[in-house]
Amino acid sequence: MPLGLSVDLALQHPDYVPGYREDAAPQGGEGGGSATSGSADWLNVSWEPEEEAANEPVEKYVGFGNFSYVLGDPKFHKALGNTALYVLGTIGIALPLAFFLAHFLRQVPGRMRPVLSFLLLLPGLCLSGVLATLFQLFFHGREGALNQWFVVPMGFEPINWLLDPSFVLPALVLQAVWRWAGFIVLFFLCGMEAIPKAYYEAARVEGAGAWRVLRTITFPAVRHVTVFAAVFLVIDGFASFSGAYNLLGGSGGILDSGLLLVTYLYQVAFPGGSGQFDFPAAAAMSLLVVPLTALVLFLVLFGRNRFSRT
Amino acid sequence: MNSSSARYFSPAVLVSLLAGLVFSYPFLWMFLSAFKTNKEIYQPLLLFPADYEWDAFAALFSGKYLDFTSFFLNSVFISCMQALFATAVTACAGFAFAKLNFRFKGAFFLLAVLVILVPKQALAIPLFEWLTWLELNGSRWAVILPGIASGLGIVFFTQIFSRIPNELIDLARVEGASLPRTFLAILPLVAPALVTYGLIHFILAWQEHLFPLLLLSDANQTLPLGLAKLRDSSHRIPEAVAMAAATFTLVPVVALFAVFYGKMRTALAELTLH
Repeated sequence: MPLGLSVDLALQHPDYVPGYREDAAPQGGEGGGSATSGSADWLNVSWEPEEEAANEPVEKYVGFGNFSYVLGDPKFHKALGNTALYVLGTIGIALPLAFFLAHFLRQVPGRMRPVLSFLLLLPGLCLSGVLATLFQLFFHGREGALNQWFVVPMGFEPINWLLDPSFVLPALVLQAVWRWAGFIVLFFLCGMEAIPKAYYEAARVEGAGAWRVLRTITFPAVRHVTVFAAVFLVIDGFASFSGAYNLLGGSGGILDSGLLLVTYLYQVAFPGGSGQFDFPAAAAMSLLVVPLTALVLFLVLFGRNRFSRT
Repeated sequence: MNSSSARYFSPAVLVSLLAGLVFSYPFLWMFLSAFKTNKEIYQPLLLFPADYEWDAFAALFSGKYLDFTSFFLNSVFISCMQALFATAVTACAGFAFAKLNFRFKGAFFLLAVLVILVPKQALAIPLFEWLTWLELNGSRWAVILPGIASGLGIVFFTQIFSRIPNELIDLARVEGASLPRTFLAILPLVAPALVTYGLIHFILAWQEHLFPLLLLSDANQTLPLGLAKLRDSSHRIPEAVAMAAATFTLVPVVALFAVFYGKMRTALAELTLH
């Protein structure tokens, strides 16, 4: 690794206290060697690997050590599982919701349609930090809108969304749905407006019911939009960081029940989160994320082979 | 008259209206919360404040807690630069992919598609090392430069340009126009697409959190980071200030969107048609 590991991380995280996690990994002695040679020393290292290497063996080739460490880390498995559930949940809720909303919006008279679709878009336009803030202050909590409007009227006890391990992930999914549904509605709407009116008239003449029209005309016509939206949600889900970071403050939430892949990457790579510093393992891990995401997406895309049309 | 008024109250309209209200009501609450006291904000079902005080806005812009104006200007600069350069670069690339023939064209296009598939965040650490090597770490260009590369933009503009008739290009060639000149002459034809892509890229850059967090020095921070600071765990800052800041992060994007919404719909509808 010629570019060296002696990056001045302290610049980004003034609250970082250098320290070396003994159980970390069979990695090169960068963290350990430097930490013993004094923190002030380490903090000021500019990037000069040659000079460093002359003093002490800083970098060592560890083969696949970091990969096997990451693959064996239970937290990584947890993050992977959580991310998969998060992506599936978001797609499973957002796509049908957006489809039906777009279907209803299409029947709204022309003047009102842009206004209504713009109202739906609003969460997608704003910073995810704002969404998280609103989630904490407005939706979340015993007196929050989610509990008072939905959970209590249905006869359940108020849910502590962010502290109950089984509800952290649903909270994140709800936030993602709220955020992206508007955009997907816009895409569906554009697709639906392109369907020739004659199709619907022919169906009405033939006496087809509303459900049948929806299933045989509308849905096939916007199928490529569905694929596009699913791909978008998969990418966003695997890469989602900001929402979880703002809601859970860089940690994985209680019992790591809201730990997503990028949050884990951030924790492992950069101190300040949970306090460990493990740069090489993080690099290995980010290398694992890439083919993984690519694999999932190829399965989605080339199962249908219609991407080039969107 | 009778039939049109009936359509305004059909179940479809009611459902859409309800959904629109549910989706956007929290933002109304957010704006009004900028006038509230902490005690009022912690009652989420309360919409209107007891009385309207502009203290939160004053505190925000006087720099009492942090220099909000500089955060705002940094965000505007970074997002504008990213949108501008990304649109320029990807439009050129899209034109080349759609209208020119060169070696390894298919392979390069596959690379562009791969760039879409790989989430940017997964490349955070290699990029971090690169930018340190380039000695850009901490400056605003450290966020702008990686943001310019956009696979989505390349695919989008390739689709857009492939719908321009080849005869136009041939005509320009016969008339003796150089390649850059031909490209410039075609640009007005794809104006809605340029605006749409610039807008989308602006919004994505505006929302970006991880890269600015990793790469920007204290003097160059952007709005998402500022917002996180206003709501840190110590809770010493009144929530109303964060609400006022949140309102201001939304204003430019909504304004841009409202202005260009019609153009964007045109470009998107054209794209889904084909």
